[in-house]
Amino acid sequence: MKKKGLIIVIAVVAIIVLLIGSVIGSYNELVEDREEVVAAQSAISVQLQRRADLIPNFVNTVKGYTDYEQSTYTAVTTARAAVQNANGATEQAEASNQLDRAIDIWVNAVTEAYPDLKANTQFTALQDELAGTENRIAVARRDYNEDAREYNTEIKKFPRSILAGIFGFQAFDYFEAKAGTENVPQVSFD
Amino acid sequence: MKRVITIAVVLLLVLLCGCTQKSGYPTATEEFYVNDFADVISETDEQKILSNAVVLAQKTTAQVVVVTVESLEGKTPADYALEIGRQWGVGASEADNGVVILLSESDREIYISVGYGLEGALPDSKTGRIIDTYGMEYLRNDDFSKGLFEISKQIVGEVYIEYGLEPQSDYVSFENATDNYAEQDAGDVISSWIIMVIIIMILSFMFRGRGRTVFFFGPTFRGGRGGFGGFGGSSSFGGFRGGGGGFGGGGAGRGF
Repeated sequence: MKKKGLIIVIAVVAIIVLLIGSVIGSYNELVEDREEVVAAQSAISVQLQRRADLIPNFVNTVKGYTDYEQSTYTAVTTARAAVQNANGATEQAEASNQLDRAIDIWVNAVTEAYPDLKANTQFTALQDELAGTENRIAVARRDYNEDAREYNTEIKKFPRSILAGIFGFQAFDYFEAKAGTENVPQVSFD
Repeated sequence: MKRVITIAVVLLLVLLCGCTQKSGYPTATEEFYVNDFADVISETDEQKILSNAVVLAQKTTAQVVVVTVESLEGKTPADYALEIGRQWGVGASEADNGVVILLSESDREIYISVGYGLEGALPDSKTGRIIDTYGMEYLRNDDFSKGLFEISKQIVGEVYIEYGLEPQSDYVSFENATDNYAEQDAGDVISSWIIMVIIIMILSFMFRGRGRTVFFFGPTFRGGRGGFGGFGGSSSFGGFRGGGGGFGGGGAGRGF
């Protein structure tokens, strides 16, 4: 009789230990996943900052080369400031899309007005750096989306959804290419 | 009965083919360092590119891979090169020292994708300038073979320098090159320290969360990005393969 009771106690304890173990394990995994998403998020910020640092150099190069009008790149400066003042991932994404377009238009306008610039090695160098950074931003966003999707799926799946609810794991937003090309900033060299 | 088996085998093969084709990117050839899918590289150039790359990999673990395709199938050159780098695991996994030189014949595009670990040696501006200085003339005149060889040997030389080694004999030093870059490397100055910081950050991100714990509550198994063990630059029997290097979108490209 005594023996039976002991076995039941041991079994109950074992089950509790197992349960606690899996809760801890799952919790830690969710934390790891979340950290991965956060890391991917900061990878984007690093690249955005890199681009923000490149732009003044780029502008100065052009300034040194051409009879250059301040007004032509106001759209770029405004867009750049908007990125730096943006709060939150969505706002930042939108602002940086705006900046992408502003730079594209500005570079097109500049090279059209001064075709010789294309042969200028420093101009090309900065253009490459800028294009590379933009590509890195795109890649970092894609990677982030992938990590966020995995994490978001993970916290919605049963039974982890219960844990996620208890410990307040929240889903991350995705970066989406916003349709907003209508508000294209204008550059003119009049 | 025999017929059933035959049908089953055929179905299985079709399924398998479907699986390998699903990603939409080619798989690496046995030679790994030269993958001339568009058949534009001459036999001699192929041998030269290959031997340069093999020796480089033996000395530094860095992998410089040349890929030609007939078409990018609507993808951007940057994405295509990046995906090849990631899927093939070009470069060693700890060092992320891979480079993919991709040329598309019909799109007339070239793109050089640089792994995280070589972004310091090959900033985008330098990569772009290597294409301009050593490759553009040949590429414009449809001499893809010579153009790719010239570009790849310069890239290989830059990697040697990064590792503090003497570049291979056919490398032409930038100081001797006939352009005026020496006085104007603003791009490199800015990028060099920024890139160092970025590399360190990225590396620390990558090593976080690579290994995963297995627990009762529905374990998840997942590889880190670009990670399949660390056999950097290793040559196995009957061919070479990637070591699991990581790529983050750095590089430069040109249309020609």
